Amino acid sequence: MGSSRAVRFRALFALALALLSASGCATHLRNAKAAYAEAQEFSRRYQTEQALAAYKRSLVESGLEARKNPSAQAFMLKGMAEVNLGLWGDAELSFVKASGLGFEAGEAWASDVSLLGLAISFEELGLGDPALRAYENLLGKSAFKPVRLAAAQRYFDLTLLRTLGLGDKEKSRALADLAKVVDRLEAGDFACGFYHYFHSQVESHRGDQRRSYEEAVTARELGLPSEKILRDNDNQIVFCYDTLAGALPASERDVFTAAHASWTKKWGWKDARTPGWKQE
Amino acid sequence: MSKKDIESALARGVEILNEFLPLQTTLYFPILYSACVWAVRRVFDYRERLFSWQVWLDPEEVRTKPDEFVLHFFATHEALGRAYAAELAGRDIGALRAAFPALYAVCGLEDAFLKALFRKELESGDYRRIAADFALRAAKARADIRPAEADARFWPALESLGPELAALGVHLLKDAEVRKAVINAIKKRAAKGGAEGG
Repeated sequence: MGSSRAVRFRALFALALALLSASGCATHLRNAKAAYAEAQEFSRRYQTEQALAAYKRSLVESGLEARKNPSAQAFMLKGMAEVNLGLWGDAELSFVKASGLGFEAGEAWASDVSLLGLAISFEELGLGDPALRAYENLLGKSAFKPVRLAAAQRYFDLTLLRTLGLGDKEKSRALADLAKVVDRLEAGDFACGFYHYFHSQVESHRGDQRRSYEEAVTARELGLPSEKILRDNDNQIVFCYDTLAGALPASERDVFTAAHASWTKKWGWKDARTPGWKQE
Repeated sequence: MSKKDIESALARGVEILNEFLPLQTTLYFPILYSACVWAVRRVFDYRERLFSWQVWLDPEEVRTKPDEFVLHFFATHEALGRAYAAELAGRDIGALRAAFPALYAVCGLEDAFLKALFRKELESGDYRRIAADFALRAAKARADIRPAEADARFWPALESLGPELAALGVHLLKDAEVRKAVINAIKKRAAKGGAEGG
């Protein structure tokens, strides 16, 4: 009698453990997805800090899920969270594993992430040429948007840095080439605010503050990937505004300042030169 | 709203930090001031916030700006313009560019934590010190906070502060008053520690 009770208890205990374990796994995957969705929502609203925190939560949960119950979905989610946190090496491994478990795009994503990680290493080691070639390659061929955007940010930054040391003619040629690159990117995805932000930066280096202003306003309207970039873009708008307001003839200046006032009112700025987030 | 109650809440915050970060007193102001800023915004996920501020140090934006942008940044910021008057007058773009990355992160993009980390320098107008110390101090803050991040008891203790500060009406205080209250709480604790110690 006692023995049969013990057997029944062991069986029930095993069943409970299995149920608990299964529900735990389901919870990790569910939590990882929920946190990822939340992160994307925060990103859309420029709440970068909250978005990053949610990506970190998603990474922890998908990591637990991948360890307990390896699946293409778990590794894909883990890789996506890692990409958004800039953990390129870890993301590559996750996408390789996801690919091995049946996620078709995983192999290409892993390859793109790997190339980006390599390019960043080149850049950190001071090897600008191979880094630029890799970024350019990713800009042209990667179908994975987070990688394309990260490559674009680094490509424009590195190329602009190089133009600073050039003579006037070479600089002008290099910046014209850069403007063509950003034109191509915009042609492929005109609604991407980040590309217009790059365009604004390039035009500002070319000395065309009017065009830079227009691109920065477009970028703000279309949306930018983080609050930090949004603030930098706002600073660019203020810089262009000051430059243009000081340089335009009176009649044009009045039209320009009136148009600017309507934008800043829409964005909730304190005045023509003070974005809402500015305390100083 | 009672200022006294806010001061007591902040004093409790200092005690919490003293327990978990006894040797990192330079972090007390940034953490508590950020806590007040977040309390105003009714955001109480301190753990996630403290994890995520570090990301502000990583480059996301295009860092390479035209000379005119750099000059405009220094010239239109009143205090910076004073501190770098000689460089501005001589259009010493090399010197301004060298100081730009640190000062733009603190004064241009205005992250609450980084601003708090350099509070003393900002208050005294020592912008050159910010430019010189930025990389080292930011790296140190990142390293110093790690032991507390790993302690599970730290977060619930700190998280209880936000709702309390919000309920007490910290949002009704001016920013300068909040800063002063935080500094007073830290100073009081330091004096008490000194008296106890000796």
